[in-house]
Amino acid sequence: MPGNKNVEYLSSQEWHQWQMELLQSTVNSVYRRVPFYQQAFKNAGIEPSDILSLNDLHKLPFTTRKDLSENYPYGLFARPLRDIVRIHTLRGTLQKPVVIGCTAQDLKHRRDLAARLFQTCGVTKEDIVQICLDPGLTTLGQELKESAEAVGALVIPPDPVPAPAQARVMMDFRTTVLVTTPSYAKRIVREIDAGSLPLGALTLKTGLFVGEQLSEEDRSFFKEFLSINSFSSYGILEVSGPALAFECEMQDGLHIAMDHFIAEIVNPQNGKSMPEGEEGELVVTTLTARANPLLRFRTGDLTRIIKEPCKCGRTTMRIAPISRRCDNIISIRGIKIDPGEVGELISEYVPGPVPPYILVIQTENFLEKLEIWLSINEEIFSGSLPQLHNLIARLEEAFEQKTGLSCKVRPREYRTIEPLLKKGRLVVR
Amino acid sequence: MLTIKNLHTRYGPIPVLKNVSLHVKQGEIVALIGTNGAGKTTLLTTISGLLKPVKGSIQFDGVTITKKSPSEIVALGLSQVPEGRQIFTPLTVEENLELGAYQRTSRNDGKAVSKDLEAVYSLFPRLKERRKQVAGTLSGGEQQMLAIGRAFMAKPKMLLLDEPSLGLAPKLVDSIMKTIVSLNQEQGLTILIVEQNARKALAISHRAYVLETGKIVLQGSSEELIEDSEIKRAYLGKDYATITER
Repeated sequence: MPGNKNVEYLSSQEWHQWQMELLQSTVNSVYRRVPFYQQAFKNAGIEPSDILSLNDLHKLPFTTRKDLSENYPYGLFARPLRDIVRIHTLRGTLQKPVVIGCTAQDLKHRRDLAARLFQTCGVTKEDIVQICLDPGLTTLGQELKESAEAVGALVIPPDPVPAPAQARVMMDFRTTVLVTTPSYAKRIVREIDAGSLPLGALTLKTGLFVGEQLSEEDRSFFKEFLSINSFSSYGILEVSGPALAFECEMQDGLHIAMDHFIAEIVNPQNGKSMPEGEEGELVVTTLTARANPLLRFRTGDLTRIIKEPCKCGRTTMRIAPISRRCDNIISIRGIKIDPGEVGELISEYVPGPVPPYILVIQTENFLEKLEIWLSINEEIFSGSLPQLHNLIARLEEAFEQKTGLSCKVRPREYRTIEPLLKKGRLVVR
Repeated sequence: MLTIKNLHTRYGPIPVLKNVSLHVKQGEIVALIGTNGAGKTTLLTTISGLLKPVKGSIQFDGVTITKKSPSEIVALGLSQVPEGRQIFTPLTVEENLELGAYQRTSRNDGKAVSKDLEAVYSLFPRLKERRKQVAGTLSGGEQQMLAIGRAFMAKPKMLLLDEPSLGLAPKLVDSIMKTIVSLNQEQGLTILIVEQNARKALAISHRAYVLETGKIVLQGSSEELIEDSEIKRAYLGKDYATITER
């Protein structure tokens, strides 16, 4: 039997008891240590002792990204800073960044989980693992590197060199496992396809895709072109690192790591639980996190629970691949952007009401690039071109500093963006 | 083997255990650690039927024992070694051990009882040497051995050990802990141990739960908990200070 015999094959009764115990101790702990949750419990009119089974999960308050941002930097920590050994700061368009702390145990859990992901993909100490990720996914890359090392594989860590150099490394170092996003893999494929590198010299056997959803078309494409077996994983840095859920050898949905998380599907509009099998927003509760335990974190990702047991024999719950987001947030090269909040940034530099704008995402050689099309008004352009260029440069710099993502600001006449805005579209791909 | 769900107990109007859930699998040693007054002993007393819970359920070996009497629970194979030993001091060592098998002798289980008596003596040769000695004259360590031996005589499937190291010299504590491991590994006994000496308890157990003011606030493998900074500060006390100051 593949996989971790101790934790992935429990009976439903065993899962229920174990998750309930972990949920109760998590609830007791956050209620005592995190004022935000204490207040949220009071607002919801519940006590920790009201959680008698997993069916009571719906009584607990939700946690959102906004809550994380508003409690910047340490407001949601359940452990004193002396216990925290690492902090991740997730930038975005929220007013303040999101800070996630980890104790030594949290890091071990994340590492063990990602190691389980590698083992499920068949990675062993005989493998050469090359990690190619965009800078926006650096944290993910670092955790994957540590876990692949824990498995004993030889690891080529993420390096900010362009795709052609990565492809060359892949050939020269005889990489067997490529860890990347589907779009980055396509950039590498493009290099090979351009004839600059001999396809026959490839020693790849496995692709592990993180950070973006792997479509079935992509899977077939990589199988055909690179002759690799592709595995997909799902993780969000706020909660889990790279391995909250991952595909098994059957490649039929993603198995949730139920020894660390409870997953539920809710209606994104009213927050009510969805019937099993129906699509809704994925909500995740951490069960073993020490520094940053989160109750019912709203991921914004839409998926559904797969009811049927998996043929691999694992008894962990499966979810279907993420179909789309239920909010306006877009992810560009691993960085989450809320288009609505871009206006707040603009308002810091342009006096008066925020001028109309749209975000335009263009893909060039499988690399997503962001442009902000800003409607020109008298506040922005009073006839002086140098002044306009200066404003654009300041806006671009401020955006990159805040989000970590570069963008181009393009001044446009209102009539250019008006038709899109009238259709309610703030983002154009 | 033992599954507890949402257990609430109280002494008169004072709530002690508040929604406690835990489980012990067959063959495991599980430790329960916590400060004085956290409710550790209350939990063991409730499991063994001496205290009835207000709410919640306890299942042992597939049988709900929440409302069963202590003697029924012992008959099902769950024995408690109480805190402070509580042996019968005027009786001899052997008489104490035979009393542990009281329910079995009444079932004409004589031969098996004699065999288990020998097993206890081989586990604790000291008790064999003192078999005819009055129990009240034994040292603290010997009395603890006798208390464990007496619980073993009931032929349990699972032992509940309440503070087995209490009042013992460090050397004796080690010896008692070794015996607990051998009861688990050689005799196949499942064990739930309550212990103030958290370091020792975590060293011999597979998993552990941390109880604070009647609530479980942390759990995990003992290997992991022994490395947890908070556990080190709160429960590993002096030993931890000694190590960090070295």
